[in-house]
Amino acid sequence: MKDNVLHIENLTMQFGGVVAVDNFSMDINKGEIVALIGPNGAGKTTAFNAVTGVYQPTSGRVMLNGENITGLRPDQITARGIARTFQNIRLFSSMTVFENVLTAQHLRRTSNLFSATFRLNKAEEKRMREDTEALLKQVDLYDLRDEMAVSLPYGKQRLLEIVRALASGPKLLLLDEPAAGMNPQETDELGEFIRRIRTEFDLTVFIIEHHMNLVMKISDRIYVIEFGKQIAEGRPEEIQNNQDVIDAYLGGGDEL
Amino acid sequence: MWNTVFPYLLSGISVGGQYALIAIGYTMVYGILRLINFAHGDVFMVAGIVMVYMAASGLPLWLCIVLDLVATAIIGFAIERIAYKPLRTAPRMSIMISAIGVSYTLQNLVLYITGGLNQIYPKIPWISDSITIGSATTKVVTVVTPILTILLVFALVMLINHTKVGMAMRAVSKDFETSQLMGININSVISTTFVIGSFLAGVGSTLYFTNYTTVIQTSGAMPGLKAFVAAVFGGIGSVPGAVVGAFIIGIAENLIKGLDIILFKMGLISKPMGLAIFSDAFTFALLIIILAVKPTGLFGEKSIDKV
Amino acid sequence: MKKKLDLPHILTVIIIIAIYAAVFIAEQHMPPTSMLFTVLKKGATYALVAVSMNLLNGFTGIFSLGQAGFMLIGAYIFSIFTIPVEHRGIVYQYYDGGVIQFTLPVLIAMILAGLVAALFAFLIGLPVLRLKSDYLAIATLGFAEIVRTIFQWDKLGPVTNGSNMLRLFPTFNDFNIKNADGTVAVYLSTIIPMLIAGVCIAIILLLINSTYGRALRAIKDDEIAAEAMGIHLASHKQMAFCVSSFFAGVGGAMLAMYQTTVQAKSFTTAMTYEILLIVVIGGLGSVTGSILSSFLFVAASEWWLRFLDQKQVINGFEVPLLRNGFRLVVFSFIIMIVVLFFRQGIMGTKELPDLFRKKKTAEGGAK
Repeated sequence: MKDNVLHIENLTMQFGGVVAVDNFSMDINKGEIVALIGPNGAGKTTAFNAVTGVYQPTSGRVMLNGENITGLRPDQITARGIARTFQNIRLFSSMTVFENVLTAQHLRRTSNLFSATFRLNKAEEKRMREDTEALLKQVDLYDLRDEMAVSLPYGKQRLLEIVRALASGPKLLLLDEPAAGMNPQETDELGEFIRRIRTEFDLTVFIIEHHMNLVMKISDRIYVIEFGKQIAEGRPEEIQNNQDVIDAYLGGGDEL
Repeated sequence: MWNTVFPYLLSGISVGGQYALIAIGYTMVYGILRLINFAHGDVFMVAGIVMVYMAASGLPLWLCIVLDLVATAIIGFAIERIAYKPLRTAPRMSIMISAIGVSYTLQNLVLYITGGLNQIYPKIPWISDSITIGSATTKVVTVVTPILTILLVFALVMLINHTKVGMAMRAVSKDFETSQLMGININSVISTTFVIGSFLAGVGSTLYFTNYTTVIQTSGAMPGLKAFVAAVFGGIGSVPGAVVGAFIIGIAENLIKGLDIILFKMGLISKPMGLAIFSDAFTFALLIIILAVKPTGLFGEKSIDKV
Repeated sequence: MKKKLDLPHILTVIIIIAIYAAVFIAEQHMPPTSMLFTVLKKGATYALVAVSMNLLNGFTGIFSLGQAGFMLIGAYIFSIFTIPVEHRGIVYQYYDGGVIQFTLPVLIAMILAGLVAALFAFLIGLPVLRLKSDYLAIATLGFAEIVRTIFQWDKLGPVTNGSNMLRLFPTFNDFNIKNADGTVAVYLSTIIPMLIAGVCIAIILLLINSTYGRALRAIKDDEIAAEAMGIHLASHKQMAFCVSSFFAGVGGAMLAMYQTTVQAKSFTTAMTYEILLIVVIGGLGSVTGSILSSFLFVAASEWWLRFLDQKQVINGFEVPLLRNGFRLVVFSFIIMIVVLFFRQGIMGTKELPDLFRKKKTAEGGAK
């Protein structure tokens, strides 16, 4: 078996009587781009939230590089190497582009409140700022560094959210519908960007997406869920020809 | 023992009823707007002041009571329209600050009008009379309050469950946006809520101030906070919950007022401990405990935040 | 990297030094009873308290209404430990002179006041900070009420003097340097409180602009995103709460010195509301705003608008409405107008150096 990064085992997520994710298992290996697709309300984002600690799974296990991270807080999970973006963009609205990315560096501080307040951590603060500048240059956002993050055009905001996630130094990047609201050209660029950062940052990527062109183009493997259950798994061309998947997307053949 | 406890219990039930009438206003407004209406206690106080001035004008007392209730309802309506409606799309902190601003304004207005002096509440015949029940000598209002409270709450629950406007209220408190899309006139539902809440606070003020006899600009602050705690205790958004919470708090607070004497009679302490001072603090301690242990209160529903 | 000391910052430093110098000179030459000094002393006190509240409500997004409670703790700790031993018999007359029979230096007592307030904040923060905005507001408010009661409890009288007043502790006037004959050689009773408040506010500013400050702002902007960026919400909120309370405690000590007496019953919810409204008028999220607004608020209420509370007769015509309490009514309406129509307050989220910067144009962002 190749290097396993994320291992999800029999994950179940229940809200009252509603089972949003039902006994779901999956594996992601190092360097892969894996997509999770399914109709609206299939439980994709819920699965993300259970992996990142926003929700506590009802049952099941989540392992990162062999370490059990089930039930940890979101910040602990981020510290262990999972960073994410959100379906509805969640940038820090009172901050500039630079500060948004800089904030993600807080995670790697060694200073405490006292030393940071009284500027006894000059070297660290300098390192944080330099790293942020370098990162912004690397992804071509440096010219926009002093703009307010929320005043950027929509596509740039999506991009910035990914960059902010990168700044936390993740091994695994979770992208929740990164192409939502983008035009075809922006979507293409996004696909290129995701592939590029995978190489440059030595990443593994787990992505939820509705743009099928994008998914088929960049994914190494695809998982399909419906009503919280896995209905298919495989390489893009396998998924494209899978009858269950086609049924799910066309509204289910049984009832019709 | 029972003879010692009974008078405190009785006045606890009475105050509880008065808190309940205020608490309903908090819980209904919170249910619909998710707003702690910090000014509600002051509306209750203003109702008392208006009554004082109306009675002084020489109108017959029964007419004063009716006009006072009408005026209180109008004040509640006006506050919502002036201070809360313009902020409907603003962050929640803004509208809460506005509520605090209204509270500050009402208190200062009353301070200005009354000159900051205690106003004597008019004696309302019959309910101001003294009666003796068992070991307790009290006013008729003490007995009338819980009965009247229960009747009014019953009427309100009927209104909420069996009328069109009640149905609209329930819909709005379940889902603000969707009910708007369903063609419910949000503004009139909210206004109705404020009118009902203020009207009940007006009734509560008549009962409360008949008991305590003086009104000053800060008279509404403490009962208001306690009624809010009662609403949280019962599960905010739930009318029966607020009523149960109010009675529990009213009773607990009055028992603490008599705790020194009760403990002394029971032989547990040999000299007074000055515990009566904690009757207000207890309410807030209860609040913090409830929020820490079961934030949804006794009858509240759990909600999950969407990410 | 850009050098931090650019022109706007230099101008800001010059302005601040100029203000302090002007106050120092004015103090030596104007009568000490001048209203100006009253306003500056109380204004400095309120500025510190307002900035500390802004750290929570404006920068961290924690809607706390416990400020009066922490000020009370600070005021009490300060006065309890600074009343000279020889005066304790008079002050604690109902409690045989009280149990504490030593005196701490003023500055040590101030720091202790802050530390004890912070300790209380830590303890109450454990259950309360997990709550959502409005519940947190009411819980902190309740906490302040509980504190107010406890400090008045007769059984604690030997320490707190029960519901009686604490007095005869050092006041701002004791900062003046006196000659042997008792006349004042150098007046420092205004400048020192302003310096204390200034240093405290500077520390808060340093915190806000550190990596921890950025984390707090991230929490205010979006808790879920902040958490996803690896910021531990509970510990950061707890930290902001303790720091804010520390400075509220120091502010309470300053208020005690300003008032010359301390009594628990005056630290009411209304006091918290007043400070909150000052913060809102200045702009939630602007330290400069809180400071400006504090001085304006105090100047207006103690000085400029005093005439509204008195009958005024101009050319034999008595101006209507003017009598006791009218000032507060005018105040209330100004506040409501700010709350409803100028929600940004005086400064929005801008600080003093921002005012010297040219308005940023959108050219960088637009394509």
